[in-house]
Amino acid sequence: MGKNAEGTLKERLSALQAEQRRAERRRRVVMISVSVVVAGGLAVAATAFVQADRAGRSLDAVQTINVSARNHTDKAVSYPQAPPVGGDHAPEWQNCGIYTKPLRNENVVHSQEHGAVWVAFRPGLPKEQLDILLKQAQGRDFVVLSPYTGLSAPVVLSSWGKQLKLDRADDPRLTAFLRANINGPGTPEPGASCSGGVGEPSV
Amino acid sequence: MRFPPLLRRRGVLVAVTVVLTLALSGLGFRLWYAGPPGDASLEAGFARDMQAHHAQAVQMALIIRDRTTDRQVRTLAYDIATTQQQQIGQMYAWLDMWGLPQASLEPRMAWMRQGHQNMPGMGQQTAQMPGMATREQLKQLEQASGKEAETLFLRLMIPHHQGGVQMAQAAQGSGQPQVKRMASSILAAQQAEIELMRGMLAARGAAETSPPAAG
Repeated sequence: MGKNAEGTLKERLSALQAEQRRAERRRRVVMISVSVVVAGGLAVAATAFVQADRAGRSLDAVQTINVSARNHTDKAVSYPQAPPVGGDHAPEWQNCGIYTKPLRNENVVHSQEHGAVWVAFRPGLPKEQLDILLKQAQGRDFVVLSPYTGLSAPVVLSSWGKQLKLDRADDPRLTAFLRANINGPGTPEPGASCSGGVGEPSV
Repeated sequence: MRFPPLLRRRGVLVAVTVVLTLALSGLGFRLWYAGPPGDASLEAGFARDMQAHHAQAVQMALIIRDRTTDRQVRTLAYDIATTQQQQIGQMYAWLDMWGLPQASLEPRMAWMRQGHQNMPGMGQQTAQMPGMATREQLKQLEQASGKEAETLFLRLMIPHHQGGVQMAQAAQGSGQPQVKRMASSILAAQQAEIELMRGMLAARGAAETSPPAAG
């Protein structure tokens, strides 16, 4: 083999190697870019999913009302909210459970003082919506379920100092509100009973 | 030793070592310290359902104190009401300290399936927990008086205590010392009271017939 031929071979070899290195770099850049894009996409999708899930159950829309009055009275009380979220109330509390007729505010407010959530619904609420409320109320203590005339939304959840208005009974915030407020941190008299008062719930 | 090209740089090697060490010690800490019981734990389920179960015992005890003048029954009822109301407070405080809501997401008694306990008589709509009296039975108790009320009370409270014993047995599998201690104390107290109530029924010449709808 001549000197010239050897030189050409060496040049061709190094050119080939350089080309291989370039190809390898390109491949690496493509792999890294693809990985970054895929990982980024997954992260964005997961964040969006979690945020959407949280927004569905978020209790941001719950109104917090400061209630200071909590005396016993036999007289009728005028409450600023309908249904009320606490205040002066009747000496006897409403027994928790499911009622088919409207209740006296003054008795249910006393149950709210004991940790109950009042699930009030508009009379004439569609049956499938009412069934959801019944199912939620049946398996739980410290829930008063009753129709409420002149309600500002189809379903209104009220505990001591807290209220949430819902357009539908299948709103996931129903469970979230019940969980957060049945005997929740805002309960003035935790440990007090929701039976042994007045009223005969149907279930 | 030859490292793959990426690890040849010392900085990378140190970083990898640090990350691995942190991950392993984190894992070790998690294994060593389990933290407070979670929302779906046996402990949380016991604390929630036993509060409701106890609350009915307190309710029945307060009803019978209004319905009889018998000293022995009234004393037993006083004992049940004060003891169980105090235990309700303890269980309420556990959930509060564990940062868990008092109301459950799970259906009643789901936690007992974790304890491999078979619960006969579960699932009736009002008597969802073992031994719970139905609304009708409570109404009967409120309307009875004297010896009739005493007999009815004893006949309702015996299965109620038996249900409480079952729940307490399931909670003895807990790794939380205070939960285990409470479960043992409920177990011992209610088993003893069942015997006491059986004696009281016998003294009244009444049989321990199971009330029809009790679980």
